[in-house]
Amino acid sequence: MAQDSGGPRATAKWFDRAQPTFRCVIDPTHQISSLFGWVSVPSAAWIDENGRIVRSNEGVYPAPMTIGFGLGKVRLGDDAFALATRDWIERGAESDHVWSHSELAERLKPVDEDTLLAEATFKLALHFEAVGDSDRAWRHFTAAQQLAPDNWNYLRQGWTHKGMTYASLKVLARTNYLRKNTDTSYYDPMGLPGENHHRYIEPEWLWTPAVRRLKQLLRR
Amino acid sequence: MIILANGKTTEVSRRSDAADALWVRMDELPGATGWQMKPEGACLGELCVPLPANKREEWIADADDWVWFCYSEFADMIGQQYVHDGDVWSLGSVPAVRSVGLESAIAPDFEVTERNGNTLRLSDLRGHKVVLFTWSSW
Repeated sequence: MAQDSGGPRATAKWFDRAQPTFRCVIDPTHQISSLFGWVSVPSAAWIDENGRIVRSNEGVYPAPMTIGFGLGKVRLGDDAFALATRDWIERGAESDHVWSHSELAERLKPVDEDTLLAEATFKLALHFEAVGDSDRAWRHFTAAQQLAPDNWNYLRQGWTHKGMTYASLKVLARTNYLRKNTDTSYYDPMGLPGENHHRYIEPEWLWTPAVRRLKQLLRR
Repeated sequence: MIILANGKTTEVSRRSDAADALWVRMDELPGATGWQMKPEGACLGELCVPLPANKREEWIADADDWVWFCYSEFADMIGQQYVHDGDVWSLGSVPAVRSVGLESAIAPDFEVTERNGNTLRLSDLRGHKVVLFTWSSW
């Protein structure tokens, strides 16, 4: 499910490259994240044959991967969610990874008034973006971001209104700020075995043998 | 006038004497907001909210040869957040719908467009396991 205000225009090349064998939908107004309470991508839910949610997570990368290039190349993700998903598909309710009702209630907490107002404001911004009223779109994107400052969907989709380069720099600046000043995590842990949970996405160059050796020397 | 709700954009009539309140023509209410009037009150799917007896005359009014419903007053009562810019009104999620979802764990239904242009409702997939997975180009 492509969650993207750019709609088919912005998502076509990714769909074409993936050659998916499953159903592909486009959600330009982020309505599904609003309904499931997700604040970032990639996110996922398992819904059983009776329509019940039995797991809902954010940061659900299908495999360890790197994105970007040069010094901007970053590593992220693991295959914990993909393995758990296969297990659930095969074993259904017998899977160890299915959440109980109380676990689900704990994760899907009720939201406050600011969060609900942010959602309405964000949708207003998306509308003005879609009709080409950039000034009003930006004003409402900014208002939504202020009302729900931890919602990465609002931050990143909103910043993209000013271009991908602007958005990328803003993501970098914000993650650096959070890393230094707060204990806020980009993604909550999924609670799955083998999960390689990093609080933040790390630049790939930090993991080269030369840099690792240098860090060891500096620590001494 | 435009109403943004439930992932849809709906153009609706504007009450000529409406001030800073959202009045929706009764026949346009279900299409624009999902709510419809029934004897038991305003209903959204299986959720029904009785209208306070002392507000009925205030919230349901005749104007411009139509019957209108003061949606913004109703939204205030049920705790639904909204925001508007000129004639564009955006409605947030209905808190009671979220609460029902939390209690039942039933996935909220939604309607989206598939890449091939077909419309897909989540409820159409009952009887199958569904892995709902979001991604974006940004």
